[in-house]
Amino acid sequence: MSTTPTVPPRRVDASMDLLNQILHQPVDPDYARVAADLAPEDRRRPRAHWWLALVLVLAGTLFAVGALQTNRTRPVQETERAELVERIGAAETQQDALRRQVEDLDGQIDRLRSAALGTDASSRALEAQIDRLGPAVGLASVTGPGVVIVVDDAPATDGDARDQVLDLDLQVLANGLWASGAEAVAINGHRLSALTAIRGAGDAITVDYRSLTRPYRVEAIGDPRTLQARLAESAAGAWWNDLAQNRDMTYQTSDASRLVLDSDPGITLRYARTVDR
Amino acid sequence: MIPLVGLVVGVVLGLVLQPTLPVGLQPYLPIAIVAALDALFGAFRAYLEGTFTDRVFVVSFISNVLIAALIVWVGDQIGVGSQLSTGVVVVLGIRIFTNVAAIRRVLFHA
Repeated sequence: MSTTPTVPPRRVDASMDLLNQILHQPVDPDYARVAADLAPEDRRRPRAHWWLALVLVLAGTLFAVGALQTNRTRPVQETERAELVERIGAAETQQDALRRQVEDLDGQIDRLRSAALGTDASSRALEAQIDRLGPAVGLASVTGPGVVIVVDDAPATDGDARDQVLDLDLQVLANGLWASGAEAVAINGHRLSALTAIRGAGDAITVDYRSLTRPYRVEAIGDPRTLQARLAESAAGAWWNDLAQNRDMTYQTSDASRLVLDSDPGITLRYARTVDR
Repeated sequence: MIPLVGLVVGVVLGLVLQPTLPVGLQPYLPIAIVAALDALFGAFRAYLEGTFTDRVFVVSFISNVLIAALIVWVGDQIGVGSQLSTGVVVVLGIRIFTNVAAIRRVLFHA
């Protein structure tokens, strides 16, 4: 028998003292301490003072006020939400009106430009160049035959992002269409130009910073005899076949005899120089 | 008996009078309620264990409610209010669960 005081070994969970204290000391330790000081007959029948009743009345009032307050603020939040939705709608209609105005003004600019250029040979050459390049850069609206591709998330998505169409997938598809000889591409009516950004923003995919709603309808004008076949052979076609087969996403390609793609309203004149006559 | 009557009277008073809290205090009411629940269940468990004293209950109730609200208020001032209130709810929630489990064991022997 050894009488030397031994240091108790450090508990393995000593570093989790806070959690232990919460779990093993849920009752205020003062209850036990005060009760130990009381005489046994006092302990049998705890005395109740008026302040106990007062505090309990206070607790009850607290619960009632809390419940009332939550119920009172709910309609306010709903009306605020409805107002916000309304304001978003109003802003979107205003944006559409402004875009139409931009298109009108662009048309006026076109007319004024051709009037200013005159009719001599070099001017006609310039106009021909503008007419040729306009559709390619998205400055002019384009009409013609092409393909329509409808893509959508997999029908049963349990929140798995891999079952949803991502901005990357649309980027791949748009680039594949360009590479397969498309002259003009639009996603959900938004014309793509060389400067168009297709990006994910939160849950939505945006094109030119305008968010899209599912399903995504990609329209491309190009040679209807070759466009679809070349797309299927391209890397983008393989990418989307994989998504459709392994992820059950919608990927429907169809020919269209006549598509009308509006000009990209985001195109602005960035660089200009005077022509020496 | 007194505790139950007091609680019911309090709830009825609150529903009938519908007192409005100052706007500045409203964010701290939910956290105060959680603290009050913790104090109540702790007291009930102490009562079942035969160690209940009203003085300790009153002091722990008031200090719990005030400290919980104060912690969240301080958190709001330094920009971590929502995180701190989550912390308070987690700690008090664990305590409430532990106490209710002990109460259940004493009452139903299960």
